[in-house]
Amino acid sequence: MTGSGTGGGAGQAARGGDLRAWLVRRLLLGAGQTVAVVLLVFALTEALPGDAAVALAGDQPDPARIAAIREALHLDRPAHERLVAWAAGLLHGDLGTSLTSGRPVATYLANGVGPTVLLAALTVTLLVPLSVGLGVLAARHEGRFVDRLVSSVTLAVYAVPEFALGVLLVTVFALRLGWLPPTAVGFGDDLLAHPAALVLPVLVLLSRPVCSLVRLVRAGMIDALASPYAAQARRYGIAGARVRYAHALPNALAPAAQQLARTIDWLLCGVIVVEALFVIPGLGTVLINAVAERDVPVIQGLAVVFGLTAVVLNLGADLVARRFAPRAGVAA
Amino acid sequence: MRFPVRARPGRFLLGLLLVAGPLLIALLGPLVAGEPGPRAASFTLGGGHGAGADFVGRDVWRQVLLGGRTVVLTALSATALAYAVALPLGLTGALTHRRWLEDLLMRPLDVLLAIPSLLLILLVAAVFSPGTVGLALLVALVNIPDAARIVRATAAEAAARPAVEALRMQGESWWRMAVGYVGRSALRTLAADAGTRLTGVLYLVATAAFLGVGVAPDAADWAVMVDRNRTGLFVQPWAVVLPAVLIVALTMGGNLLLDAALTSRGRRPTPLRPLPRPRKEHPA
Repeated sequence: MTGSGTGGGAGQAARGGDLRAWLVRRLLLGAGQTVAVVLLVFALTEALPGDAAVALAGDQPDPARIAAIREALHLDRPAHERLVAWAAGLLHGDLGTSLTSGRPVATYLANGVGPTVLLAALTVTLLVPLSVGLGVLAARHEGRFVDRLVSSVTLAVYAVPEFALGVLLVTVFALRLGWLPPTAVGFGDDLLAHPAALVLPVLVLLSRPVCSLVRLVRAGMIDALASPYAAQARRYGIAGARVRYAHALPNALAPAAQQLARTIDWLLCGVIVVEALFVIPGLGTVLINAVAERDVPVIQGLAVVFGLTAVVLNLGADLVARRFAPRAGVAA
Repeated sequence: MRFPVRARPGRFLLGLLLVAGPLLIALLGPLVAGEPGPRAASFTLGGGHGAGADFVGRDVWRQVLLGGRTVVLTALSATALAYAVALPLGLTGALTHRRWLEDLLMRPLDVLLAIPSLLLILLVAAVFSPGTVGLALLVALVNIPDAARIVRATAAEAAARPAVEALRMQGESWWRMAVGYVGRSALRTLAADAGTRLTGVLYLVATAAFLGVGVAPDAADWAVMVDRNRTGLFVQPWAVVLPAVLIVALTMGGNLLLDAALTSRGRRPTPLRPLPRPRKEHPA
């Protein structure tokens, strides 16, 4: 694995072995991304054509509602003042209040976070062992039937949209066979008490990340097993399993560790789709409802939370990837 | 990076088989769909409708024939559009000798990369309520940062070769070096990336349509059909299963076909394809 494709100016710094310079650059990039997320989300209200309050009132353009929206968003104040006030509120955990219900955005977050975190945690917990296991299995049998099967299936399922796959799984397992409930309707917030309702959502969420990680682990593992240091370890008479898991695997995992964080993007997309598909009352459902109602403060609050989660996890993954393979020149 | 160089006839054939049906229906379906017949009751089977009626009583089979075109055309134009912007951006970034210009062009893209693509699409959709064209623009926009990075990395590798130095010493024009040599050398890698990007774009377009972005609530669109007809899944599964199967076949077949075509034709695996990529909508 060479660092040629990972681009970014920090490649040179990493190759120079200057960890601190790389770290500073990577943290700066993270800070830049954080600022970009906040600015972009704020720019939304500014981008509304015409009078934002009239545009947001939409189907109910009565003057009282327009005035209420103007009041809630402080539209009478200049944009930079609003940005400063909003950003300062963010730092204190104050995300504003909903336009439609008047409740604080933070309560929306608090209500939705449980199911979403449960789904994400379950998925990631299963994702790592599953994809490492399958990837190593395919690499050990490179070119043989098991490898061809794993490679073909992961390649095929990789690009399938979650909603299409999910709806077909529901048709087979809920409608035809009747083994699992078709949606999470009626189970309330306590999904953990109804594991059957979680099987299909987690399976659908897993489908894409598993495929991409398996392919990366497999490619990295084949590469690492063919490398001079693996050959040298074998020449010393070190057992095959130890060469595989103690020497080759950490190097094979570097690209996968990065992809794991990039997978967060997929998981965020996937969670939104899966929650809509299986009617799970999580953050994704809150976001979709807010988008449908054009409830700007709720959308902004959720977007900041989702966006910053992605920034932080990407940063973490780059640090982990760097730890696994310091020579690879992780992009920053 | 070792990839088997031998051809993969099985994978190629399977991909072709999977992709042919949905693609033919998507492109030729609207020509043979005919005029809309009388509406039936919602979610009923039979009654002259081969695959039953949908949520507002329209003939499901006719909707299926009409519903593929938007998905496929939106995905194709979004991919083309993303490359139309990413190519000049990445090439300039790779070939310029001014570090500040490269930073100016590429750094903002690094910053954008961290924002989840569907989130960005939903955010913009909340404000502007885009139509089909708007959706294509949006999907293209979220693909530009990663595409430009790939173009830059590929072109930078080609631009560092001695041949470019020779061209420069010979006094060749920038255009001839950038397009004539570097662009042409990078073509294979970029073709592979464009292929994988197309499947990623197809995913995004369909998913956005499923969530109601860029489409009318009663549009003849496979993703919208799956969404709107879900309530009747237990009485009239065909209205959901048919479009879902077509989408699955299209994306699965497309990926298998591309992979087989790219590995069997290549003498040498492209250096960029197996590397981890920052954007997530396409195969690694």
